Amino acid sequence: MEEVLEEFVLALRSSGVLISVAECIDAMRAVDLVGYADRQLLREALSGVLAKSSDEKQVFTITFERFFSSEGFPDPCQGIEDTSIRVDLRASDSTLTRLLVSGTPADLVMSVREGARAVDVATIGFFFQGPYIRRILHQMGLEGLNHDIEMAHGEDGAASQRRAMILELARSRLIENVKSFAGRQYTLFAGSSTEGAIEKYLRNARLSELEERDLKRIYAIIQKMLKHLNALYARRRKTSKRGQLDFKRTFRANIAFDGLMFDRMWKAKKIDRPDIIVLCDVSRSVRAVVRFLLLFLYGLNQTLVKIRSFVFCSNLVEVSDIFDRCLVEEALARILTGAETGLLMGRTDYGEVFREFGEKWLDTVTSKTTVIILGDGRNNYGDPQTEILKAIYRRCRRLIWLNPESRPLWGAGDSEMNRYLPFCHLAKECNTVRHLERVVHALLRHHSSLSSSSG
Amino acid sequence: MQREHAREFASRESILQGLGEAGYVCTSEIATMLFLACHLEKPILVEGPAGVGKTELAKAAAAFFGLPLIRLQCYEGLDESKVLYEWKYGKQLLYTQILRDKLDDIVGSSSGLAESVQKLHQYDDMFFSPHFLEPRPLLKALQEEDGVVLLVDEVDKADQEFEAFLLEILSDFQISIPEIGTIKALSKPLVFLTSNNTREMSDALKRRCLHLFIPFPDPKMEREIVRVHVPGLSERLRIQLISFIQQVREFDLKKAPSVGETIDWARTLALLHADMLSPDLVRETLNTVLKFQEDIHMVEDHLLKMTQKALSAALD
Repeated sequence: MEEVLEEFVLALRSSGVLISVAECIDAMRAVDLVGYADRQLLREALSGVLAKSSDEKQVFTITFERFFSSEGFPDPCQGIEDTSIRVDLRASDSTLTRLLVSGTPADLVMSVREGARAVDVATIGFFFQGPYIRRILHQMGLEGLNHDIEMAHGEDGAASQRRAMILELARSRLIENVKSFAGRQYTLFAGSSTEGAIEKYLRNARLSELEERDLKRIYAIIQKMLKHLNALYARRRKTSKRGQLDFKRTFRANIAFDGLMFDRMWKAKKIDRPDIIVLCDVSRSVRAVVRFLLLFLYGLNQTLVKIRSFVFCSNLVEVSDIFDRCLVEEALARILTGAETGLLMGRTDYGEVFREFGEKWLDTVTSKTTVIILGDGRNNYGDPQTEILKAIYRRCRRLIWLNPESRPLWGAGDSEMNRYLPFCHLAKECNTVRHLERVVHALLRHHSSLSSSSG
Repeated sequence: MQREHAREFASRESILQGLGEAGYVCTSEIATMLFLACHLEKPILVEGPAGVGKTELAKAAAAFFGLPLIRLQCYEGLDESKVLYEWKYGKQLLYTQILRDKLDDIVGSSSGLAESVQKLHQYDDMFFSPHFLEPRPLLKALQEEDGVVLLVDEVDKADQEFEAFLLEILSDFQISIPEIGTIKALSKPLVFLTSNNTREMSDALKRRCLHLFIPFPDPKMEREIVRVHVPGLSERLRIQLISFIQQVREFDLKKAPSVGETIDWARTLALLHADMLSPDLVRETLNTVLKFQEDIHMVEDHLLKMTQKALSAALD
């Protein structure tokens, strides 16, 4: 029975539930205690041992229902027994023929399962059901059966023809059953690997080519990514808060008091939270990618503590509180229609935007602030106001420009990118989710390394 | 203390029944988890929204098994000196003062500094021995001979570093103290960890625990809970009350009413000798269930309709 549990764990793993070896052992011990007899009890017990968050519990329930479905394993040799009585076995018959003719249904099930195990159940993928079925049949010895059928066809006499017909019938039934077995295996094991392939594709696809329907998926990817990054860096931010006795400094400071430990010195580090201001271009020239940039911005807003978000086109408006208040779809809709925010969707005017920012918000930019600009730098031949960008650049810790256009296009036509470039600490092409991820990585790593050195 | 039910022999059915007698209405899922926890000797991580009875579960289990309950309330900044152990610094200082004369005796007979130091080396561990150890909840739980129910409440409120302290005790039921060595549990405690999901627990912690998710109860279950806790309430009013609460939970509220608040409301209505819900009665007592002015306003707008629905639910 342990094999059943092993396969179930495998099925869960391929659906994205992380299960360690220790948990497998726990599951076995739990099953020893509760047994397989009571289905509900088994589900409750395994659910507590294997699925450890509410998301995982959902996946668990679905997989459990599929795996321990009540109809059980379909019988690959249904209806064969009644006909098999009239077929004689010959000494030359292959093992599969023997099995079909004289074996019990349980023997056949075992044979199919073994065949499946030999071709490695877990590798079954979306497009590979056909080959998978062929490989199982091959493993079971289909060639031998085919040979026997041909032999029977070639011989004269009614008995031989009958024999060929019955064996053919048994073969087609067997193939049907292996097919349905493979289908079930596919739903159990390969659902997530196909999902994984889609995710991989979306990560590398250009943001402008993505469709509306992928929005949810992309957002899930972005959230996953941000959660991961947050887990990676939040810890380091925290440790810098802790104070410990700094013995060396204490010793040195108290030499003046004749070596009496009078004045204690602590290994205090400054708390250094990332302080981020993001300006996002939502004009028509970047229309194709803007939804995804906003999604990213929304995700950042949810994850990082101190962030102020602005969107701009002809003018600049702050949208931090919309992000805080609304759910993702609603927030996006509100910003893109511009109804509530007072955003003017005229010609993109970077110069005006920078002027406005310089006037109203330049004070908020400090030596700790990272300013991120998401936009293509296409200014419709207006005044680029590089002076103001320079002022921001001088005040802030880092100024990062993420441009959805690929590098050769920078500076072509009305793009002012090359004139802005000297005032960016970092300017990067950014048009896939992967790019976004790298940028956030760089951003957070820079922050934490700086904060630890400033301690 | 006399144990009422030995953990090793508890069956799932006896747990289900026993918790019920201890005043805790539980689902079969909870009973199964508790059963597994007893037999696999693993801690249970209990998650779920606020006020569904996560902490109550630990209390009821303690009552059922007849074990003392040691509770550790977590908060940000909790560290090992408050959780595991602390040295009794005062006692150490006092003893050094008292023993000064003795020290003179020991050192006095020796000639030269090196010999004195040599002699003192034989005694240096004295002040860091179990006598000077102040046990904190986790260590206390391990030292209890008859076993104990250990409740680590709201573990998600503590820092991530705190989880690291827990790992050793959760997997091996032991604590390592550098000056003394490893202290093993005399009798393995039954451990509950509760979390409100304010942050995701680490995988290392989850791996060592059984996981139990307690959702808001369904109407039938909640009626049963109210029946157990507020026996004075009439059957009809109870159905109306639960129907109303379940409707309230469907709103997008700042804070959905918990089971605890349902019970509070039931008590209030019992005190007022109410026999059925009416819009006015609800309006006057709604603040026992909803704790934010915005939420109250939102529900008040639909009060009439909701009360009617609740009343008709009792008729079916």
